[in-house]
Amino acid sequence: MFPSKKPTNINPPPMCVQADSGLVLTTDPKPRLRWTVELHDRFVDAVNQLGGPDKATPKTIMRVMGVKGLTLYHLKSHLQKFRLGKQPHKEFNDHSLKDAAALELQRNAASSSRIMGRTMNDRSVQVTEAIRMQLEVQRRLHEQLEVQKHLQIRIEAQGKYMQSILEKAYQTLAAEGMPSGVGYKELGDQALDASMGFPSPHDLQLYGGSDHQVMDLQQQMNQSLDGFLLTNNSNNDNDNACLGKKMRPHHPYMNPNEKHPFLWDDDLQVQEEASKSDQIQVAPPDRGEGIDDIDDVYEAKPAAGMLSADQSAGLEKKFEGPSSHGWHQTDDDRTWQLRPSKKLVL
Amino acid sequence: METMMMKEIGDLSRSSSSSTASRDVDFACAWSNWEPVADWAPFSAPVADDFDDLVDSMICPDVALDDPAALSSMSNTSADTPIDEEVNTYATAGDGDDKDLRLVHLLVAAAEALDGPHRYPELARVILVRLKELVERAGVDSGGGTSIERLAAHFADALQGLLDGGVAGRSSVRDVRLHHNKADVLTAFQLLQDMSPYIKFGHFTANQAILEACLDDRRVHVVDFDIDEGVQWASLMQALVSRPGGRPPPPHLRITAVSRGGGSRAMQETGRRLAAFAASLGQPFSFSHCRLDADERFRPASVKVVKGETVVMNCMLHPTMAATRRGRAASVASFLSGAAELGAKVVTMVEEEDDDEREDLAAEEERGFAARFMAELRRYSTVWDSLEAGFPMQGRARGMVERVILGPGIAGAVNRAYREGKEEGEKEGNWGEWVTAMGFMRVGISCFNHCQAKLLLGLFNDGYKVEEDGINKLVLGWKTSRLLSASVWKPPPPPHLLLPSSPPILVGTTSSSGFTTSFEDSDFIFD
Repeated sequence: MFPSKKPTNINPPPMCVQADSGLVLTTDPKPRLRWTVELHDRFVDAVNQLGGPDKATPKTIMRVMGVKGLTLYHLKSHLQKFRLGKQPHKEFNDHSLKDAAALELQRNAASSSRIMGRTMNDRSVQVTEAIRMQLEVQRRLHEQLEVQKHLQIRIEAQGKYMQSILEKAYQTLAAEGMPSGVGYKELGDQALDASMGFPSPHDLQLYGGSDHQVMDLQQQMNQSLDGFLLTNNSNNDNDNACLGKKMRPHHPYMNPNEKHPFLWDDDLQVQEEASKSDQIQVAPPDRGEGIDDIDDVYEAKPAAGMLSADQSAGLEKKFEGPSSHGWHQTDDDRTWQLRPSKKLVL
Repeated sequence: METMMMKEIGDLSRSSSSSTASRDVDFACAWSNWEPVADWAPFSAPVADDFDDLVDSMICPDVALDDPAALSSMSNTSADTPIDEEVNTYATAGDGDDKDLRLVHLLVAAAEALDGPHRYPELARVILVRLKELVERAGVDSGGGTSIERLAAHFADALQGLLDGGVAGRSSVRDVRLHHNKADVLTAFQLLQDMSPYIKFGHFTANQAILEACLDDRRVHVVDFDIDEGVQWASLMQALVSRPGGRPPPPHLRITAVSRGGGSRAMQETGRRLAAFAASLGQPFSFSHCRLDADERFRPASVKVVKGETVVMNCMLHPTMAATRRGRAASVASFLSGAAELGAKVVTMVEEEDDDEREDLAAEEERGFAARFMAELRRYSTVWDSLEAGFPMQGRARGMVERVILGPGIAGAVNRAYREGKEEGEKEGNWGEWVTAMGFMRVGISCFNHCQAKLLLGLFNDGYKVEEDGINKLVLGWKTSRLLSASVWKPPPPPHLLLPSSPPILVGTTSSSGFTTSFEDSDFIFD
């Protein structure tokens, strides 16, 4: 992202001199403008006049500043740096955080090495600058993880709530004896889950921190939600044993990976709804495989987990893209394959 | 070329119900010289790209051979090579997409026939008959046919409804619950949430803004314009109880839902469900509702406000949620105006967004029905595309969402587009601009919020984008089109608090820049 610099039409003077307009220029193959405090102040004034770094453009700034010898090229790069400095989170957009910070460091280092006449003080300032950048990167990474954790919890909550509504509605439907166009049970083997990429609590443990809190939350919810659940699958007895170890596949509320069973493939039979009085559950007990295999699924999952420690700034997300398989067993082993798609764009 | 055209037109006039014998010549001229008014380039490119892989299905393998109507329409299509020349100007892809474009052409032509002072309903009728033939396979109920056929079928239905009874579509959103049972509605809603970030984006962005505004408050009171099933509040409650360690216990959350007409029972059910959910989380909660006036206006006095609580107004305005009643614009306006009087701390708003070409137009009123229709067509085809791109194999699931949620949405949108030009007070336009004119100030969207939105989008297929639009708005888009925006506002201080010397709040005029201040580093930012 280092912008290619076009040479300006200011002839490089032999040494560091003050040009007529008060600009300090340097000597080197690529003429560089030295942003003095006064010049920078004028720059900031102009930017603010124009409504902030996002609204201002190099052209308008140039007009407002009215400084002779100042070119668009100077302003473009300075504005970019200014924007970055003002709103560091914008870096999420295009590159990974580390790259961005590395670039900033590079740029600063490059510019500092070229400009002559830097004093000792300036150099140490540059070093501090570099350290600050590094810390900034780390801070942003942590922040992102925080956001991710919160997001997961929130999505789960919403999923639970939706489930309760749906179950109630289907209960009502069954009670009224009306056939529903879409049965509840055609999850089959091909349920797709749009949010499958969430890290299990197990994965979150890799990051320590407040996963403990997440666990507590789930425990608390598990207990209090039992009453909230319409039925309780006997399979749920596994749940407490599984706490903290892996996902609990059969508790409808604690299973974000199973909370969207309705995305069936077209070639599945749409089953009419059977009597639901005793078995309203979301987990797919009707799969040929038993519970153990499903446990396998989730054990295998951390390996393909979203937040594996060996990934640097990129966070890999498993989203089951379009495929005729959905969840499926590979031929060789009994683990479910999730097709990794793309890195989370940061 | 002429003979082909004439044959087709012959078909048309035969099948139309009105006597059009004398108009054959007109039709011939119209059809052969006809060019669409709008610029197709931005529209046809995405259409062409995304339906490339539907080429096979376009070469209809499953048309019943004993179905003469379908056969004749199909044979017309395949024989229409001369028309390709005209159509190819707008399409870069191969033959299969011609049918798509024809459908679109026909839809726009029908809309134009209903537009403005030179309305020509008979032409519209005829075009719609032709359309119906072409999308017969789609059979809105059965969910068959190709994606674009279903889309065209919905729009054709909407237009037909306009012709027939002045109300678009056979099932406006209000009637959805009559036509579809509740389980279907909810299932479709769940499916939509799973397939696209459409719903969650709005909910989560608004909730995060509310969280930030109420960071240290003991009591939070949310006034919700359209609570529907209350899904939004589940995650807010969750967020309130799981605030980072060390925070004081969660504040008391009170939700007041604005109810309209006779929806009382459903609303109470929602309230009960929310209360149960809150109890399960250990979140202190209470629920109440207030009614709109007889004229569907919101009166702030009907909301009970407790001293010391922070009031927040929530306004979800995308048509998947809201009904498409007449007078809705007025009730939204009254709701937003009431924010000042209630002393709301923030107002969160989610509304549909158009692509930016509106800026070129001189004024809202100059967009005729056809132009608005095209905008809606564009919007819904974007939504269609996004669903299909993510879930190409799940046609039936998509079909259900289209039928139960998007179809009524289309009907409502076409209705609104039609009425906008006709009735006063029906003009909705962009609510963001409206509140700006009312003196609302922008509340910045935090880093956290923006990051959350990006992460959310990352869970869905490629193509969704979120970007900032100003400091207080996030816009969700698919590829290059804008779909939905979530924005956060602070209402102007209530009138009775203004000193006599200060200027009154300007209503309905465009504000100068002095009215919009930005809260960049205030306590609104959650860091």
